[in-house]
Amino acid sequence: MVHVSDNLSDSDVILAKLQDVFRAELDDEDLVIAPDTSQKNLKGWDSLAHIRLVSGIESEFDIQFSLAEIEQTSSVRQFVQLIEERSR
Amino acid sequence: MSSPASTIHSTKIPLSALPWLPRPAGKMRDRLAALPTEPMAALLFLQSLAQAGWGEADLGLLGRKISRILRSAPADFASEVRRHGLTQARILILSASTASHLSDALIGTAIRFKFLLDVTVAEYEEPEPWLERNRSELKENPPDFVLVASDSRMLKLTSQLGDEAAAAQMVGAALARIARIAEVAGAATGRPVILQTLAGDPDAISFNMDLGLPGSPRFLTDEFNRSLVQRARQDSRIVLDVNALASLVGHSAWSAGRYWYAAKYPFATTMIPLYADNVMRIIAAQMGRSRRVLVLDLDNTLWGGIVGDDGIEGLALGSGSALGEAHSALQRMAISLKERGIILCVSSKNDEAIALDAFRNHPEMILKEDDIVAFRVNWEDKAANIKAIADAIDLGLDSFVFLDDNPAERKRVRDALPSVAVPELPEDPSEWLGVFHAAGYFEQSGFSKEDQQRAGFYKANALRAARLERIGDHDEYLRSLSMTLSIAPFDGAGRKRIAQLISKSNQFNVTTRRYSETEIEAMQSNSEVLTLQARLEDIFGDNGMISAVICRQTGRIWEVDTWIMSCRVLGRRVEETILQYLVEQARVRGISEIIGRYIPTAKNGLVRDHFSKLGFVQTGSQNGETTWQLAIASYGEKDLPLKVALPRA
Repeated sequence: MVHVSDNLSDSDVILAKLQDVFRAELDDEDLVIAPDTSQKNLKGWDSLAHIRLVSGIESEFDIQFSLAEIEQTSSVRQFVQLIEERSR
Repeated sequence: MSSPASTIHSTKIPLSALPWLPRPAGKMRDRLAALPTEPMAALLFLQSLAQAGWGEADLGLLGRKISRILRSAPADFASEVRRHGLTQARILILSASTASHLSDALIGTAIRFKFLLDVTVAEYEEPEPWLERNRSELKENPPDFVLVASDSRMLKLTSQLGDEAAAAQMVGAALARIARIAEVAGAATGRPVILQTLAGDPDAISFNMDLGLPGSPRFLTDEFNRSLVQRARQDSRIVLDVNALASLVGHSAWSAGRYWYAAKYPFATTMIPLYADNVMRIIAAQMGRSRRVLVLDLDNTLWGGIVGDDGIEGLALGSGSALGEAHSALQRMAISLKERGIILCVSSKNDEAIALDAFRNHPEMILKEDDIVAFRVNWEDKAANIKAIADAIDLGLDSFVFLDDNPAERKRVRDALPSVAVPELPEDPSEWLGVFHAAGYFEQSGFSKEDQQRAGFYKANALRAARLERIGDHDEYLRSLSMTLSIAPFDGAGRKRIAQLISKSNQFNVTTRRYSETEIEAMQSNSEVLTLQARLEDIFGDNGMISAVICRQTGRIWEVDTWIMSCRVLGRRVEETILQYLVEQARVRGISEIIGRYIPTAKNGLVRDHFSKLGFVQTGSQNGETTWQLAIASYGEKDLPLKVALPRA
């Protein structure tokens, strides 16, 4: 298990939290994600899962994405970037 | 099942976050790390975890864990689950929008209501073709409930502005469509159908006059909702009032907004816990699991102040103080619950004489001594007192709600008696009622005359108990009651109450088979089925309809499909009188034997020996389930203290 601190500026911490959300929403407890993980290379990240992920990430980080961001985001790297922007 | 959740919170919790539940302690992910590996232990662990007010994502996690345990459970798991008081049920959700994202949270919510829910979803499709395509599958393996999750996007209510006739036609057509879907779903499954009202669309144009303007979105939604609930009442459908939920939290908060555009979610994800809670309270009510007793604390709950210290004149109650008004409002709420058939009791740490003095002599008391079925006012532990009340009025602790201003007392009762519902309350009494009503503990799916009279029934029982104490000899006491048992086959007039008995009886119920009103109606005209409803009257009044029996005939044999009785009339020899009547009927109809079956659940241990006590001979036993036989020829007439009255032919 990854222990995280409350300092959101660290992208590793964000990635660890994201991994928890991905594991929960995609119902796969052993899933390991990396910045390169995307809708193209992760089976199960379909359009419905995408919305569940968005909802899960929003509540995990207490932020809100815009409709355009929801549509344009398709990789873990993009999510990390958006979260970093929001928490700055 | 003690809940380690914290009870202290300073900020106001929105109703969508179920503020009546204790706040979760820690993170769901971390808590799940302690999940036991043995499946039953794991389910019980999850059940205790589920008692807190988790958000949508955490409920989803919980639900997925439950589903996973059930998927890999051993073959005989169902009976073990039943023994632990959990009921398995399946719901089919028909939605033209997205609904699959609700499944996990619904399952995670259901276990708090002691249900292991299996959810089947038909989404993105008009319900009619789906039902048509799956007709035979539904017949073979019917769900226990069908939820028609219609929304305004599916029904697309629009009509010419200002044209009353066109608006009426539009609403009529939408209603006819829902009625048809319900009809088809009901006929295909034979199970209760739940219909939804429509939430107003906050994105639609709405001027102040619009509620009165035919054809406006407000007008159409309002007309539709009103007609839907009327129609549902006529057709015995169940209503999930989504519009009321949206009003509770505010329509714009309810609305899915961008989630609708991105994924066709019918309402915002933050609202899922509230929606799931309401679906489950409806299902629980249908299965006889809604609560029936409200136990009230006195000091700083029913009135402001401590009567022992402040004296009657020092209490904050009624006009004259703002705090007093808030406590009066609570008393009025208790009265309106009583009118809905809820039994009111008092448990308080106080000197009984002082507390009763306040009831009798405070001019602003709205609740009177006579409204309270049981008083436990003493210095003992409240949990013990609530337990004593449950024993005295013969109702299970899982029908109890305990209302107390003191967080420490609440936690104590919650820990000692986990089946009692103990709502968390905001600190300010003026905010209590909103939270308490939103919790919906006393959800009822129908309203019968019996509901209105229930408190009276329990009061009369207390009088009977006093009489028995005086007379001493039980048989002599029974004869002194001059009881008349009126027996009749199922009929239209009794159907609502029969359905209620069948859905709610958990203790005196040998098979715990549930039937919908439609199925009950079908039995009335089925010559292969003998049905019987019984009412009991005595010198203390009418006990109402208290028993129902269904026997299915095969050749010259009757098998008891269902035998239920209200626990209010235990020990009155009603069962023996009914058997005697059955035997008489059997003789008239050339029946040679009656077969009985006992299917054990966590709640019906009371009737384990039902058939044996009635003189049946045991013929089989498997997994706790027993079968019994009574040869009609061997039955010897008994002298019973009840007179039987039959309907005039």
